[in-house]
Amino acid sequence: MTAIPLESALWYNKGVDLLTVFVTARESAGEPYTLVEVTGEADVTNTDELRRLLDDEVSEQPRMMIIDLSGLRFMDSSALHALLRVNRSLDRQGGVLALVSPQPAVAKILRLTTADRLIPVFATVAEAAAG
Amino acid sequence: MSYSYTTDLAAVRAVVYRYAKQAGLPEHRALDLVLAVSEVAANTVRHAKSPGSLKIWYDTQEVICQIQDEGMIRDPLASRRKPAMDAMGGHGLWIVHQVCDEVEMLSGEAGTTIRLHMKLPG
Repeated sequence: MTAIPLESALWYNKGVDLLTVFVTARESAGEPYTLVEVTGEADVTNTDELRRLLDDEVSEQPRMMIIDLSGLRFMDSSALHALLRVNRSLDRQGGVLALVSPQPAVAKILRLTTADRLIPVFATVAEAAAG
Repeated sequence: MSYSYTTDLAAVRAVVYRYAKQAGLPEHRALDLVLAVSEVAANTVRHAKSPGSLKIWYDTQEVICQIQDEGMIRDPLASRRKPAMDAMGGHGLWIVHQVCDEVEMLSGEAGTTIRLHMKLPG
Protein backbone atom coordinates (compact mmCIF):
# COMPACT_ATOMS: atom_id res chain seq x y z
CA MET A 1 0.00 0.00 0.00
CA THR A 2 1.46 3.34 -0.99
CA ALA A 3 0.72 5.76 1.76
CA ILE A 4 0.93 9.47 1.12
CA PRO A 5 1.89 11.23 4.32
CA LEU A 6 -0.37 13.84 5.83
CA GLU A 7 1.04 17.33 5.55
CA SER A 8 2.44 18.32 8.89
CA ALA A 9 0.54 21.55 9.45
CA LEU A 10 -1.79 21.54 12.43
CA TRP A 11 -5.05 23.41 12.93
CA TYR A 12 -5.96 24.78 16.27
CA ASN A 13 -9.28 26.17 17.41
CA LYS A 14 -8.12 26.77 20.94
CA GLY A 15 -9.04 30.21 22.19
CA VAL A 16 -11.86 30.40 19.66
CA ASP A 17 -15.41 29.99 20.89
CA LEU A 18 -16.50 26.77 19.26
CA LEU A 19 -20.16 27.23 19.99
CA THR A 20 -22.33 30.35 20.31
CA VAL A 21 -25.98 30.32 21.34
CA PHE A 22 -28.34 33.31 21.00
CA VAL A 23 -31.80 33.17 22.50
CA THR A 24 -34.56 35.64 21.65
CA ALA A 25 -38.26 35.83 22.48
CA ARG A 26 -40.36 36.35 19.34
CA GLU A 27 -43.88 36.33 18.13
CA SER A 28 -45.62 35.00 15.05
CA ALA A 29 -49.28 35.91 14.40
CA GLY A 30 -49.70 36.72 18.07
CA GLU A 31 -48.15 33.42 19.19
CA PRO A 32 -44.95 33.76 21.21
CA TYR A 33 -42.01 31.46 20.56
CA THR A 34 -38.44 31.11 21.69
CA LEU A 35 -35.82 31.30 18.97
CA VAL A 36 -32.48 29.66 19.72
CA GLU A 37 -29.72 30.31 17.17
CA VAL A 38 -26.85 27.87 17.49
CA THR A 39 -23.63 28.73 15.66
CA GLY A 40 -20.31 26.92 15.36
CA GLU A 41 -19.62 23.28 16.19
CA ALA A 42 -21.46 21.24 18.83
CA ASP A 43 -19.68 18.19 20.21
CA VAL A 44 -18.97 16.30 23.41
CA THR A 45 -16.61 19.04 24.61
CA ASN A 46 -19.42 21.62 24.84
CA THR A 47 -22.56 19.49 25.20
CA ASP A 48 -22.86 20.20 28.94
CA GLU A 49 -22.99 23.95 28.29
CA LEU A 50 -25.45 23.50 25.43
CA ARG A 51 -27.66 21.27 27.55
CA ARG A 52 -27.60 23.75 30.46
CA LEU A 53 -28.56 26.64 28.17
CA LEU A 54 -31.39 24.70 26.55
CA ASP A 55 -32.65 23.40 29.90
CA ASP A 56 -32.88 27.00 31.14
CA GLU A 57 -35.09 27.86 28.18
CA VAL A 58 -37.21 24.73 28.56
CA SER A 59 -37.83 25.63 32.22
CA GLU A 60 -39.48 28.85 30.99
CA GLN A 61 -42.16 26.53 29.55
CA PRO A 62 -42.34 27.99 26.04
CA ARG A 63 -45.22 26.80 23.88
CA MET A 64 -42.85 26.64 20.97
CA MET A 65 -39.09 26.53 20.71
CA ILE A 66 -37.37 26.92 17.35
CA ILE A 67 -33.71 26.03 17.07
CA ASP A 68 -32.06 27.65 14.06
CA LEU A 69 -29.21 25.37 12.96
CA SER A 70 -28.18 27.33 9.86
CA GLY A 71 -24.97 28.52 11.54
CA LEU A 72 -24.05 25.11 12.95
CA ARG A 73 -21.26 23.49 10.94
CA PHE A 74 -21.10 20.26 12.92
CA MET A 75 -23.08 18.27 15.45
CA ASP A 76 -22.10 14.97 17.06
CA SER A 77 -24.26 12.37 18.80
CA SER A 78 -23.87 13.93 22.24
CA ALA A 79 -25.24 17.26 20.98
CA LEU A 80 -28.00 15.35 19.19
CA HIS A 81 -28.95 13.78 22.52
CA ALA A 82 -29.21 17.26 24.01
CA LEU A 83 -31.76 18.14 21.29
CA LEU A 84 -33.68 14.89 21.79
CA ARG A 85 -33.81 15.65 25.49
CA VAL A 86 -35.24 19.11 24.85
CA ASN A 87 -37.81 17.57 22.54
CA ARG A 88 -38.88 15.10 25.21
CA SER A 89 -39.05 17.73 27.96
CA LEU A 90 -41.07 20.15 25.83
CA ASP A 91 -43.39 17.38 24.72
CA ARG A 92 -44.07 16.46 28.37
CA GLN A 93 -45.02 20.02 29.24
CA GLY A 94 -47.18 20.49 26.17
CA GLY A 95 -44.68 22.48 24.11
CA VAL A 96 -43.30 21.94 20.63
CA LEU A 97 -39.74 21.88 19.30
CA ALA A 98 -38.82 22.64 15.68
CA LEU A 99 -35.46 22.66 13.94
CA VAL A 100 -34.55 25.00 11.09
CA SER A 101 -32.16 24.83 8.16
CA PRO A 102 -29.53 22.26 9.11
CA GLN A 103 -26.33 22.31 7.04
CA PRO A 104 -25.44 19.03 5.24
CA ALA A 105 -23.33 17.55 8.05
CA VAL A 106 -26.03 18.24 10.63
CA ALA A 107 -28.86 17.11 8.33
CA LYS A 108 -26.97 13.84 7.86
CA ILE A 109 -26.85 12.89 11.53
CA LEU A 110 -30.51 13.91 11.97
CA ARG A 111 -31.48 11.67 9.05
CA LEU A 112 -29.20 8.76 9.97
CA THR A 113 -30.52 8.53 13.52
CA THR A 114 -34.09 9.24 12.31
CA ALA A 115 -34.20 12.14 14.77
CA ASP A 116 -35.73 14.14 11.90
CA ARG A 117 -38.82 11.94 12.15
CA LEU A 118 -39.14 12.76 15.83
CA ILE A 119 -38.47 16.50 15.58
CA PRO A 120 -39.94 18.49 12.65
CA VAL A 121 -37.34 20.21 10.43
CA PHE A 122 -38.20 23.36 8.45
CA ALA A 123 -36.37 25.38 5.80
CA THR A 124 -36.93 28.76 7.46
CA VAL A 125 -37.78 30.19 10.89
CA ALA A 126 -40.95 31.73 9.40
CA GLU A 127 -42.16 28.33 8.21
CA ALA A 128 -41.40 26.74 11.56
CA ALA A 129 -43.21 29.54 13.40
CA ALA A 130 -46.23 29.10 11.15
CA GLY A 131 -46.18 25.41 12.07
CA MET B 1 2.43 11.13 10.59
CA SER B 2 0.63 10.86 13.88
CA TYR B 3 -1.65 13.55 15.21
CA SER B 4 -2.21 13.63 18.95
CA TYR B 5 -5.35 15.09 20.54
CA THR B 6 -6.83 15.63 23.97
CA THR B 7 -10.02 17.67 23.81
CA ASP B 8 -9.51 19.73 20.65
CA LEU B 9 -11.94 17.78 18.50
CA ALA B 10 -12.55 20.72 16.15
CA ALA B 11 -8.87 20.53 15.21
CA VAL B 12 -9.15 16.78 14.61
CA ARG B 13 -12.17 17.38 12.35
CA ALA B 14 -10.35 20.09 10.41
CA VAL B 15 -7.39 17.79 9.76
CA VAL B 16 -9.62 14.92 8.64
CA TYR B 17 -11.84 17.09 6.41
CA ARG B 18 -8.91 18.68 4.64
CA TYR B 19 -7.14 15.39 4.13
CA ALA B 20 -10.27 13.55 2.97
CA LYS B 21 -10.87 16.22 0.32
CA GLN B 22 -7.25 16.14 -0.75
CA ALA B 23 -7.50 12.36 -1.12
CA GLY B 24 -10.47 12.79 -3.46
CA LEU B 25 -13.47 11.90 -1.32
CA PRO B 26 -16.59 13.74 -2.47
CA GLU B 27 -17.96 16.37 -0.08
CA HIS B 28 -20.69 14.22 1.52
CA ARG B 29 -18.30 11.31 2.07
CA ALA B 30 -15.69 13.64 3.55
CA LEU B 31 -18.36 14.87 5.98
CA ASP B 32 -19.21 11.24 6.81
CA LEU B 33 -15.58 10.53 7.67
CA VAL B 34 -15.37 13.70 9.75
CA LEU B 35 -18.47 12.61 11.70
CA ALA B 36 -17.09 9.09 12.23
CA VAL B 37 -13.69 10.27 13.42
CA SER B 38 -15.26 12.84 15.70
CA GLU B 39 -17.48 10.20 17.29
CA VAL B 40 -14.52 7.89 17.90
CA ALA B 41 -12.39 10.73 19.26
CA ALA B 42 -15.31 11.79 21.48
CA ASN B 43 -14.99 8.40 23.18
CA THR B 44 -11.37 9.24 23.98
CA VAL B 45 -12.48 12.52 25.52
CA ARG B 46 -15.16 10.73 27.55
CA HIS B 47 -13.36 7.61 28.69
CA ALA B 48 -9.62 7.58 28.14
CA LYS B 49 -7.28 9.07 30.70
CA SER B 50 -4.62 10.02 28.18
CA PRO B 51 -4.48 11.62 24.71
CA GLY B 52 -5.55 9.80 21.59
CA SER B 53 -3.65 9.63 18.34
CA LEU B 54 -4.83 9.83 14.79
CA LYS B 55 -3.19 8.59 11.62
CA ILE B 56 -4.65 9.16 8.20
CA TRP B 57 -3.44 8.00 4.82
CA TYR B 58 -4.73 6.98 1.42
CA ASP B 59 -3.88 4.96 -1.64
CA THR B 60 -5.62 4.67 -5.00
CA GLN B 61 -8.52 2.72 -3.48
CA GLU B 62 -9.40 4.26 -0.16
CA VAL B 63 -8.79 6.68 2.66
CA ILE B 64 -7.89 5.03 5.95
CA CYS B 65 -8.05 6.71 9.31
CA GLN B 66 -6.70 5.01 12.42
CA ILE B 67 -7.51 6.26 15.89
CA GLN B 68 -5.84 4.87 19.00
CA ASP B 69 -6.33 5.57 22.66
CA GLU B 70 -5.86 3.88 26.02
CA GLY B 71 -9.57 3.42 26.66
CA MET B 72 -11.30 0.07 26.40
CA ILE B 73 -14.56 -0.77 24.64
CA ARG B 74 -16.16 -3.61 26.61
CA ASP B 75 -18.68 -4.73 24.03
CA PRO B 76 -17.49 -3.80 20.51
CA LEU B 77 -20.34 -5.72 18.86
CA ALA B 78 -22.93 -3.62 20.70
CA SER B 79 -22.10 -0.74 18.36
CA ARG B 80 -23.56 -2.65 15.41
CA ARG B 81 -27.05 -2.55 16.89
CA LYS B 82 -29.10 0.61 16.45
CA PRO B 83 -29.96 2.22 19.77
CA ALA B 84 -33.58 3.22 20.48
CA MET B 85 -34.31 6.52 18.77
CA ASP B 86 -34.79 8.39 22.02
CA ALA B 87 -31.91 6.61 23.76
CA MET B 88 -29.80 9.13 25.64
CA GLY B 89 -26.50 7.60 24.66
CA GLY B 90 -24.85 4.95 22.56
CA HIS B 91 -25.39 6.40 19.10
CA GLY B 92 -21.74 7.28 18.58
CA LEU B 93 -20.20 4.01 17.46
CA TRP B 94 -23.37 2.93 15.72
CA ILE B 95 -23.08 6.04 13.54
CA VAL B 96 -19.46 5.15 12.77
CA HIS B 97 -20.57 1.79 11.39
CA GLN B 98 -23.28 3.43 9.29
CA VAL B 99 -21.14 6.03 7.53
CA CYS B 100 -17.90 4.11 6.93
CA ASP B 101 -17.34 1.42 4.30
CA GLU B 102 -15.44 -0.73 6.76
CA VAL B 103 -14.64 -0.48 10.46
CA GLU B 104 -11.94 -2.50 12.20
CA MET B 105 -11.95 -2.45 15.96
CA LEU B 106 -9.43 -3.91 18.35
CA SER B 107 -9.96 -3.31 22.04
CA GLY B 108 -8.33 -4.73 25.13
CA GLU B 109 -6.43 -3.93 28.30
CA ALA B 110 -3.78 -2.10 26.29
CA GLY B 111 -6.27 0.25 24.69
CA THR B 112 -8.40 0.57 21.60
CA THR B 113 -7.47 0.87 17.94
CA ILE B 114 -10.17 1.70 15.43
CA ARG B 115 -9.48 1.80 11.71
CA LEU B 116 -12.00 3.47 9.42
CA HIS B 117 -12.03 2.81 5.68
CA MET B 118 -13.63 5.06 3.05
CA LYS B 119 -13.58 3.93 -0.59
CA LEU B 120 -12.48 6.51 -3.12
CA PRO B 121 -14.69 7.02 -6.18
CA GLY B 122 -13.52 5.67 -9.50
